[in-house]
Amino acid sequence: MPKSFLIDTSRCTACRGCQIACKEWHELPANKTTQYGWGSHQNPQDLNANNYKLVRFSEHLEDGVVRWNFFPDQCRHCVEPPCRDMADMVQEGAIVRDDKTGAVLFTEKTAMFSPEQFEEVRQACPYNIPRRNDATGMMHKCTMCNERIHGGMLPACVKVCPTGTMQFGERDEMLQLARTRLKRLKRDWPNAMLADPEDVNVIYLLTDKPENYHEYSVASNTFGPMSKKQFFAALARPFRAMKA
Amino acid sequence: MGSNAAEHHPISFKWVLQAKDKGATVMHVDPKFSRTSARSDFHVPLRSGTDIAFLGGMIKYILDNELFFKEYVVEYTNASLIVGKDYGFEDGLFSGYDAKTRSYDKSKWGFELDADGVPKRDKSLKHPRCVYQLMKKHYSRYGIDAVSSTTGVSAENLLKVYKEFAATGRADKAGTIMYALGWTQHTVGVQNIRSAGIIQLLLGNIGVAGGGINALRGEPNVQGSTDHTLLYHIIPGYMAMPNNEWQTYDDYVKANTPVSNDPMSANWWQHKPKYFASLLKAWFGENATPENGFCYEYLPKIEKGEDYSYMYLFDRMYENKIRGGIIIGLNPMNSVPNSNKVRKALDNLDWLVTSELHHSETTDNWKRPGVDPKTVKTEVFLLPSAHRLEKEGSVTNSGRWLLWHYKAIEPAFEAKPFGDMFVGFMKRVQELYRKEGGTLPEAVLKLDYPDRYDPEELCAKINGRFTKDTVVKGKKYRKGQLVPSFTALADDGSTSSLNWLYAGSYTEEDGNKAKRRSTSQTPMQANIGLFPKWAWCWPVNRRILYNRASVDLNGKPYNPEKAVIEWKDGKWVGDVPDGGWPPMATGKGRYPFIMSKHGFGQIYGPGRQDGPFSEHYEPVETPVARNMFSKQLNSPVYKYVSSEMDKLSAPADPNYPIVLTTYSLTEHWCGGGETRNIPNLLEAEPQLYVEMSPELAEEKGIANGDGVIVESVRGRVEAIAMVTVRMRPLRVHGRIIHEIGMPFCFGWTTPGTGDATNRLTPSVGDPNTTIPEYKACCVNVRKADRLTELAT
Amino acid sequence: MKLDRRRFMKLAGSGAACLSLGQLGVSLAPVKAYAAEMKISGAKEVVTVCPFCSVSCHVIGYVKDGKLVNTEGDPDYPINEGALCAKGAAMFTMTTSHHRLQKPLYRAPYSDTWEEKSWEWMFDRIARRIKDTRDKDLILKNGKGDTVNRLESMFLLGTSHAGNEECAIAHQAMRGLGVVHMDHQARI
Repeated sequence: MPKSFLIDTSRCTACRGCQIACKEWHELPANKTTQYGWGSHQNPQDLNANNYKLVRFSEHLEDGVVRWNFFPDQCRHCVEPPCRDMADMVQEGAIVRDDKTGAVLFTEKTAMFSPEQFEEVRQACPYNIPRRNDATGMMHKCTMCNERIHGGMLPACVKVCPTGTMQFGERDEMLQLARTRLKRLKRDWPNAMLADPEDVNVIYLLTDKPENYHEYSVASNTFGPMSKKQFFAALARPFRAMKA
Repeated sequence: MGSNAAEHHPISFKWVLQAKDKGATVMHVDPKFSRTSARSDFHVPLRSGTDIAFLGGMIKYILDNELFFKEYVVEYTNASLIVGKDYGFEDGLFSGYDAKTRSYDKSKWGFELDADGVPKRDKSLKHPRCVYQLMKKHYSRYGIDAVSSTTGVSAENLLKVYKEFAATGRADKAGTIMYALGWTQHTVGVQNIRSAGIIQLLLGNIGVAGGGINALRGEPNVQGSTDHTLLYHIIPGYMAMPNNEWQTYDDYVKANTPVSNDPMSANWWQHKPKYFASLLKAWFGENATPENGFCYEYLPKIEKGEDYSYMYLFDRMYENKIRGGIIIGLNPMNSVPNSNKVRKALDNLDWLVTSELHHSETTDNWKRPGVDPKTVKTEVFLLPSAHRLEKEGSVTNSGRWLLWHYKAIEPAFEAKPFGDMFVGFMKRVQELYRKEGGTLPEAVLKLDYPDRYDPEELCAKINGRFTKDTVVKGKKYRKGQLVPSFTALADDGSTSSLNWLYAGSYTEEDGNKAKRRSTSQTPMQANIGLFPKWAWCWPVNRRILYNRASVDLNGKPYNPEKAVIEWKDGKWVGDVPDGGWPPMATGKGRYPFIMSKHGFGQIYGPGRQDGPFSEHYEPVETPVARNMFSKQLNSPVYKYVSSEMDKLSAPADPNYPIVLTTYSLTEHWCGGGETRNIPNLLEAEPQLYVEMSPELAEEKGIANGDGVIVESVRGRVEAIAMVTVRMRPLRVHGRIIHEIGMPFCFGWTTPGTGDATNRLTPSVGDPNTTIPEYKACCVNVRKADRLTELAT
Repeated sequence: MKLDRRRFMKLAGSGAACLSLGQLGVSLAPVKAYAAEMKISGAKEVVTVCPFCSVSCHVIGYVKDGKLVNTEGDPDYPINEGALCAKGAAMFTMTTSHHRLQKPLYRAPYSDTWEEKSWEWMFDRIARRIKDTRDKDLILKNGKGDTVNRLESMFLLGTSHAGNEECAIAHQAMRGLGVVHMDHQARI
């Protein structure tokens, strides 16, 4: 049974401990960022090869009440990762899954991908996660801190989280916790939902409509009427056929 | 209220959320909708500088609806005390005001005493001059309409907060208020906090689990640096700084030791001579004797009534009256108001010693933009300082826990701890005096100053030692051994202690208690989250101050579900009680508020410079021309300096119609000198911004992400517009008033990030603390044609 | 493929950390072997306190061969229980930042540059400045004839970044010298 995260956005204060802890553990260099033409606390503006984790800020006014939603974005470590299936067509083993933890991992072999091939992998991801380092050609995203997990530690972002937003454990435990939390939150937040819990190992609990967090907060958001199951199945089909 | 805990004390919010999980209502009253507001049950925006109006309305609501905790109020607060006939309040002024000196004669506010010198009381609270009745009258003017019109908060929102918070006036409920610089940084800062104190005393929320008014101290060791006193007006352990009227040790002791004639009042400060003598013994060692007044004569004496805080220091520096000085771990060229003035003032120094981790706007002021270094005479020393991980020692957290940090690595490059620096130059100054003589060399040479910086040894010296063989409670201590507690300190020269509050932290029996890491606790302690064996807490490891106010006269907890202490089988159990006396009903008890002279929680506070009750006054720079509550527009006693650069805009000045509030943010610390040099933090918050409402932005033709100029009568600052629904226009005095907010952590030594926001703020301060009014001043904003301070 | 520690650190430190199969223990190397290569394995743990707000979160510094390799929240401290905010989480790079001042620097009057000096030189010169200022400006009596022994022309500002012991001896030194202008962040 793989591991899973529960990210309970109802508790997030956007302290960004997770965003920074991720950078510190992986020793990723800082990007040059700016407020000019941007004007937001969400910095850097997007995930990139040096930011595997990004707290997204989204605000709106609803009947005179301010809603400010925080979304600690990262790779969902899909149960059936479409990025891997796509990558396998170019180079087997470039993207792998650690069956023990469920971590989906970009390896050094991703450097063999052309920018166009990378773009195909990125587009295969329903959450718009993969990023490329143009200097090295390698692809980057959250590693689930896989080595920490094997070492008996929590992922850096989970360990650092003060509020209980970031939870990590066995998949069934996390699913159970997610359902319990959801039930409780439904009382005050009728829109509360779990984002694609069957398909991913990083399960977001949202209290507001998904589009009020981020364009790619849930897979179905991007892909119209198709159900999430259908969507994942559709993505996987051609690759499987090819491999066969 | 007055704090943005989730952003500035993020880990404190972990516990707020846990309280919320258990059913607590979390309300955030603050000008800006912040990350704290996002996770609160609801947010109420109010205009900066109107907290007393807001809280005065709550006091009136509690009194009108009789929602206060009657027994607590009668027994433990000074509500029943009779105030003397000289007290009065008329049209915004308390009695005893002298317009010439802008000060009050506080003797007009004293209590009426009986023949024994004990304050008279009326426990029925009916006497027309008892505190309760005076308070009722005072706050009767704070009706919902006036409060709403002043604060910009709707009547509905006011009542929502009042009702919810007043509901904690029951024995089985507790309410807490978390405040920080949002309250202190006003010309009425202390009275903001007094208002909260009055509310919490009325509701019986002081001394109980989950109660209190929590000062979220902003800086890393600001509790410790206040206790050990890098301040002019006090000496370690919260004792007054000697002044010219106290010429001798005896004068000092007489003037500073309060006397209570009430046998029921513990009047703890009666022990002050013991703490003061022990401090002088620690400073001057063998040279201090009872015969020579423990070397008191050598101490500097400030001029009575004179203010030596940084606002006045920079004013004197500007006037060329200061020759040199030391600035360590502080970036006043960014964090002090009216930066244009203070930056110029610093040029007037002959010499300046600085110590930092990185270059800052202060260390490099002599080459700031627009200044030719060849015109600046100052000789500057810049000493590289060691970081927290590079040195050991103790710090004190906001809950007064004394915590030890170990040295993980050697200081980088040639950096040294601050401690080494002080020892380094002081030993040499002593050496020079020994060799050359000079002016009053004794004051320097008689100091018992360490030869090297050894935090462990100093920690022991702070605790205190016996200077001769002594027996305490039957136990023998040899000369040089550590004192077990401040009750062992004496005024005869037989003990030394650098800070009486810390006596008991480092003992013969238990060693350095700052290093304790046990989470063991009794079930009663576990129930309210006390960890008495983790580190140590001043005073005497008491975790909740004034905890005897949490029990009734028989020593039974008012709320047994959340008991702090309890009198059981002839002794107190739970937390360390505020004094071990038996419960009040035995007749041998003492009133629980042991640090106040009369032993009561002070609803009426006759010791403050600006009145015994709080009163709403407008900020010194205000967008309105009149005060809804009196003819007195601003505080009649606020502090200010008046060089030609200290301009103030007139009330309701149409050139500066917008209220500016300033703040810190999660990712940077204070003036930003340290955190801007941490690339990961600069990545997350890269540039100076100004948060403004979409309504204001539209009015000014500004789009999100545009460069803008913010201007006050004192200066102008470039910033990037952050247009956000989180800033709401407020309806004040019948019209719309806009408020904008800016952080102050960016500076020119980190190119392209922006420069000091404090070029906008005024040098006006609270009459009690001289903390400047960073939180409210008046500005205007317009779209910038071009930007020079910000990278685009 | 099995990476040695040096190569792993190089990868990790390069900012282009991309994990090889061997490192991940996916198929080529045993999981345990990789875990043992974690950068904090075998490091000494030293307890420190975050130098920012006065919640005073406890932090563990991981030290290997005298070098800091990582920092994380201390799970035992009952207040932060291992958690940290953005600033606390940045303690590792805070300490290793290349912007750190390296040597004592001196700027002579009217000069436009810093010069490197030794600590000894700096201490001697500072002591001389302090003594001369004090000898010249110490006010022994005020206008009324009261003994005041105060030095108004010299000041100390800062800092709450100092530990308790540092504050205690700073205060003692200043009062010994007669300094009355003394202040710090507590008034900000």
